[in-house]
Amino acid sequence: MNWLSDNVNQLALLGAAAILILTIGVTWKYFKQIKEGKSEGELKEENWDGIGEYKNNSPVGWSLAFIGTMIWGIWYWFFGYPLDAYSQIGEYNEEVKAYQARFESKWANPTKEDLLGMGEGVYLVQCSPCHGIDGTGIEGKAQDLTKRFINKEQVLSVIEHGSAALGDKVMDGQGQLGYPMGEMPPGLLSGADAVAVAEYVANGFKGNDKGAELYQSACASCHGPDGTGMDGMAPNLKEYDDKLIAAVLEHGKVGIIGTMPSFKGRLTKVQEKAVATYIRSLSE
Amino acid sequence: MFSWLEKNPFFFAVGVFIVIAFAGLVEIVPDFAQQSRPVAGAKPYDLLKLAGRNVYIKDSCNACHSQLIRPFKSETDRYGMYSLNGEYAYDRPFLWGSKRTGPDLHRVGNYRTSDWHANHMWDPISVVPGSIMPAYKHMFTNETDLETAYAEAVTVKKVFNVPYDKDIDGDGKIDVPLGSFEEAKERALKEALKVAEETKREDLVQMVKSGKIPEIVALIAYLNGLK
Repeated sequence: MNWLSDNVNQLALLGAAAILILTIGVTWKYFKQIKEGKSEGELKEENWDGIGEYKNNSPVGWSLAFIGTMIWGIWYWFFGYPLDAYSQIGEYNEEVKAYQARFESKWANPTKEDLLGMGEGVYLVQCSPCHGIDGTGIEGKAQDLTKRFINKEQVLSVIEHGSAALGDKVMDGQGQLGYPMGEMPPGLLSGADAVAVAEYVANGFKGNDKGAELYQSACASCHGPDGTGMDGMAPNLKEYDDKLIAAVLEHGKVGIIGTMPSFKGRLTKVQEKAVATYIRSLSE
Repeated sequence: MFSWLEKNPFFFAVGVFIVIAFAGLVEIVPDFAQQSRPVAGAKPYDLLKLAGRNVYIKDSCNACHSQLIRPFKSETDRYGMYSLNGEYAYDRPFLWGSKRTGPDLHRVGNYRTSDWHANHMWDPISVVPGSIMPAYKHMFTNETDLETAYAEAVTVKKVFNVPYDKDIDGDGKIDVPLGSFEEAKERALKEALKVAEETKREDLVQMVKSGKIPEIVALIAYLNGLK
């Protein structure tokens, strides 16, 4: 009889017994009435071809319940519902608030493994339709994230057009990505000089000596002598650092490949960091 | 009182009408409330987008894709802000859909681009492995029916007072110009050329330049406008 230790089971058993006893009792009462009952009481005056009707008052309990329902209905219609109305948006807001609080406390200090796992999840949902499930950019349809960063054509295109001029995006001199150094003007270098720098940068900051020299004179004042963007003053040209990924997610990107839409407000700071961690892991 | 009503069928019928009409009022009146007015910034579809919307309806996109983001965290995470009544003010008919075999599209313009749509509609598996969506290659050669779309725009402008050729946001400029069919078609061709160039498909650009708008271009213009 182990199952009887559960009080819900006890309650259910009690209820079943009550229903059984009531059913037997009521059935017995009506059978008795059918067998022995005699019509009694006062007849109404009307009759239809000799068939009459007794004067039966409505049962007290029924009448009280009927009047009670009307009173409750008036209260509900004019006071209860308008003052305490259920709001779907209200429930949504509370759900989101509670979720954000849980999310923030759970991922206050994420480890690298946490970030990688979360980043992969976010990447597969939000990024993979264009950048591909494996991050290769689906044969040039989007940036190939598994390679070491920008290629020669991309560098040349940015040098030629500047950072804001591709597409019709005007960012009030802020550049596309909103870095403190602002917009990169078009045509800083041209011709063979531009090609040399493009080869040097696309090759991972080595190889082309002429490019290295030109880089130091034309580009290093913003992007830093080593190309890492001077601690977030300008975009990092060497790797996908957290700030670069966050900036691209916030502002979107227009480049030689095409347009990436902005994901502003769709990801939390931790999620942006997680995506950056995951994207870096693709090129390792 | 009730026995009197039972003896006077006319007034009984009036009473029944009032009771039933009340239930109707409860459902109809909220539709005229402020929240059902067009939201700030809502604009009617221009000719190209309206033609694209007709392509969307013609090819039954709404059989698999909804356009209604419900206020649940799981949905707003994936699709963006939940949908508001007033956003559908110029949708005739609305395309909420009732089944999501594919994802919701109500804000697809926020996170997809013209070239992505073109790749996807040409061969869905090339961008979404495992997708069960069929290819819609006929849209790349079929010409868009601008005449019907224009007739629809003129009709809703005249009958429902949809604000074409009007300054909606009060900045002194006409927000969605319509004008005569020739003017509207010229504007649609200009916009279509921009979309065709974004898709990076030379055949679409050539077709638009020759004065014909492929259905896919109109559809992409419509999808890009869903924000």
